[in-house]
Formats: sequence, C-alpha cells, structure tokens
Amino acid sequence: MASRVTERLVDAPCTDRVPRATFQGLRALWFQLAGTLCNLACRHCFNASGPRPPWLAPLDPAMVRRAIAEAEALGVREFYFTGGEPLLHPDLFPLLERALAVAPTTLLTNGTLVDEPIADRLAAIAEASRYSLEVRVSVDGATAEESDAVRGRGSFDKALRAARLLATRRLYPIVTATEIASPNASALYERLRARLLEAGVERPRVKILPVIPTGRAARPDGTLPLSVEDLAGASHVRLQCAEARAVADGGIYACPILAGLPGARMARERLVDALGPTPLYHPACRTCYETGLTCANA
Amino acid sequence: MRERLTARRVALLGGVYANHLALEAALADARARGAEAVYCLGDLGGFGPHPDRVFPLLHAGRVACVQGNYDLAVAEGAADCGCGYTDPRDNHFARMSYAYTIRHTAPENRRWLGVLPPARRVALGAWRLLLCHGSPRQVNEFLWESTTPDGLLERFCREHAADVLCFTHTGLRWHRGLPSGRHAVNVGALGRPENDGTPRVWYTLLTADPDLVVEFVPVHYDHETLAREMADEGLPPEFVETIRTGWWTCCLEEMPVKERARGRF
Repeated sequence: MASRVTERLVDAPCTDRVPRATFQGLRALWFQLAGTLCNLACRHCFNASGPRPPWLAPLDPAMVRRAIAEAEALGVREFYFTGGEPLLHPDLFPLLERALAVAPTTLLTNGTLVDEPIADRLAAIAEASRYSLEVRVSVDGATAEESDAVRGRGSFDKALRAARLLATRRLYPIVTATEIASPNASALYERLRARLLEAGVERPRVKILPVIPTGRAARPDGTLPLSVEDLAGASHVRLQCAEARAVADGGIYACPILAGLPGARMARERLVDALGPTPLYHPACRTCYETGLTCANA
Repeated sequence: MRERLTARRVALLGGVYANHLALEAALADARARGAEAVYCLGDLGGFGPHPDRVFPLLHAGRVACVQGNYDLAVAEGAADCGCGYTDPRDNHFARMSYAYTIRHTAPENRRWLGVLPPARRVALGAWRLLLCHGSPRQVNEFLWESTTPDGLLERFCREHAADVLCFTHTGLRWHRGLPSGRHAVNVGALGRPENDGTPRVWYTLLTADPDLVVEFVPVHYDHETLAREMADEGLPPEFVETIRTGWWTCCLEEMPVKERARGRF
C-alpha cells in the first residue's frame, strides 16, 4: 500500500454542515495514556506515534483519575488504556488498578516491552481485581517477515514472547493484527491463530482490524469525509463515537482514532460536557462507517 | 405493565437452548420447592435437539417468557441468530446451530416466539423485578460477572425503576448485591452446563422474605439421553461433548479472560 509519511495526525475542517452521530450513552472510555509516545514507529500507525518527542503528550494522572470517577457515575461499561505504548507511562500500574476498581479495563500494547516482571505485575493486578483485565498485543501479520516490515525488526518475536508470558499467567491476550500485510481477514485470522498455537500461546484469541487511513497510513489521494446524504437513514449505533469517548491531552475527544485533534475535541475537562452529538467530519469517520470498525474488543 | 404477584417465591429460567429434558426436570423441581410462578428469560432454541419439544412444556407449566435474541431471529427468519458473537470461530458454530433450529421449529411456534415481550416487570413482595434477556438496553448484550460494573447496573436499575435486574444470555450464573441495596442476577442457563466440568445445569429461585433471597439451584437431568438425541440429529460433536463433560468447547471467544481461565479450553 502506498502511504505518505505523516508525523502527526492531520485534522480536517469541521463545519456546521458535517453529519453528526447521536450519542447513545457512554459504554467505553479510552485513555490515550502515553499520548503518541511509543518505542516503535509502525508504518501504518493511525496517530503517527513513535519515539520522537510526541505531538500528543502523555496524560496527566490526575486527569485520568478524574475521568474514571466521572465515568463511574455515568455507568460506563469498560475502559481502554492505549497510546502510543502505555507501558512507557510511569504511572501505568497504579492507574490500571484505579480503573479496575471501577470497570473492566483493556491494556493495548505492542508487547515488545513485556518481560517476566511486567507480566507478573499485570497478572497480580488482574488477580486482585473483581473485573477482567484484558491485554491486547499488536502485530501485523502471521510471520515475523510480514509483521516486522510494518513494525520494525524483531517486534514480532517480542510480541509472541509477550503473548506467551501473559497466557502462561492465565491472562490470555487478544492478539490483534491489521490487514495491512494480508488483506484476506479470515485467512489472516486462521494463520495468526495457528502461529500463536505453534509458538506455545495457549487459548489464542485473535482480532483482525482494518487499516485506518490516517496518520502514516493516510492515502495520498485522501479519503472523502462523510456527507449528510451518506448517513440518511443510517443507524449511528454502529459508530463507536455514538457510545465511546477518548481522554487525551487537552480534553475529551470523539473517539480513540481522532484523540488529540482540535476538530474532534468534545470538551476540555469534564466528561459530562462531552456527550453531545459527534461531528463525523474526518475522513477516518468513513472507515468506521463503511467497515463497522470498532476499536473495542468486541 | 407490572405484574402484581402475591407470590413470595418465583423461579427464573435462563436460556433453554432446546434442552427439553432439563426444562422438564427444572419445572418439576421448581414446583417442588414452592415456586408460585415461573419465568423464562428467553432463547428457547439453539444448541440442543428437537426445538419444538420445549413449547408444550412451557405452556403446560404456565411459564411466562421474555423474548431472547434467538427467539426473535427464529420468529423473523433472520439471517443469523443475533447472538452478538464477533469472532469467526464463534460464528461458525452459531451458524450450524441456527440453521438446524430454524429448520426444525414449527410455524406456530415461530409465531408464538415473535409475540413474546422483550422484558417483563414483576412485583415480588416489595421488590420490583425487571426481567430481560441480555440487558435492558440490548437483547444480546453479554453481562458477564467480570465485565459488568456496579455503576452500569445501578444505572440500569435507575433508568428502569427496578430493584432487581434479572438477565441471562451469557450462560453463566452470578448474583451481586449493589451498593444501593439493589440486586443484579444472571439467572444462568438450562440449556448447557456452565463450563465447570459437570453436566448439571442451573436455574434461579428468588424469594421475598421480606429481604431478597437469591438461590441458584442445580438441575441433574438425563444428559446422556440428550447427548444421544443431539448426535442422532447430526448436531456438532463439539456441542455433544459439552453436554456430556460440562466443559464448553466452542463459543468461547466472547468470554472475558477471568471466566475463560476457569474453563478447560
């Protein structure tokens, strides 16, 4: 796939004429915990995360705690911690514990930093919690050759090691892959599952995601945003912004994909102020609409 | 409309999944334990054999049902069961089960399924019960014990003016007293064992005493006969194994990690 290297996520015009999704109630709250700070710089990263000084700063722990408390009062169903690479955030573990005291929480990681002590720590946090701690480990194919071409040399084997370390601690991870290296989703699902079993990962769980044409995967010819006519008569429930929000540096945003963009900011501080209709102004909104994409686990 | 009961004790049955033998045993057991009314929280077919066999039992037992996702799908002849699975392996087995069920459910039973209410409101003593299949907002929402926060349950109770929220859909029973004094009860399922290595299945008794007493009741039934019927009907061997061993062999991918870790697969 031809891609344009974009070192930050590009915003789009947000006018009064863009279609809007009615908000249906808060199910998922995402935390862009590490901002766009990451130890990898994947070729397709939708928010252009990487090891350079991030364009979106890591979250202030006080903001995370405040949003967790607000979300609890709103009857949230689940939390997600993402980035960037959340394991680079110095307060990850206490914040995970705080989130898990309120609702099930998923940690999204590239797995390359997961060693035995970290796996032990995550397992202890999971064991102590009433709610499930899910861990998602990202790769981009079913072989090191496929995945490393997107994510960097050695990343696939490290992710497999992480999956094994977590599974042996009964934290059976969900291993996710985008279709970037292998556009046949069902074939990729089966190949990746088989590879995980071969690598000794018990009870492999696999989720395949489309490539989101933003950030480093933005298409050179662009993707048209949605129009009011596109959405005439459509159900907005299938759009994750109809029932999710993302907390990132600078405020509360429409969804985890557009976190950090001024056009997607729904409120600066309070979650309760961020629950209005969502403007579907960005080309990425078309991907969600057309593919039914959800960043959630299911 | 709220159903006013003078009863002190009711039995709640979860997904029956065409397990007519367990249904028969559970109804007899519930009456013997003094249940004055019996409710079923939906999904009458799917997984098991001969789906039409549950209907005469439900009618004779005066079981008041709510509509599950499976019931709605079978009634409408929908393209799939609407179970809400997102994983290809889960959907593979769900398709097999649904194709069999829809082929073997008589038109009059499909019509009956089509007019079941999506929820029932029952007053049991001073307790206001809301009975639904998945959740009050979504017929196929999975309310697992480890992924359903107190805050969400309190919100459901507030929004629906209920003191006790009762649901099924996941197939695993649990009960939680909420900080406000309300209750949430997943009543379990009669249709298949609950991934604990035994073939027994479960239903729930609620008693207003006047405090609410929640009891999960194990049902031992002739599971070997059911397994033979399933095999004779050509249902997948994975389903038959679950009936015989008590371990889930499929539809595991939707299960959260805590519940998954308790099973064999």
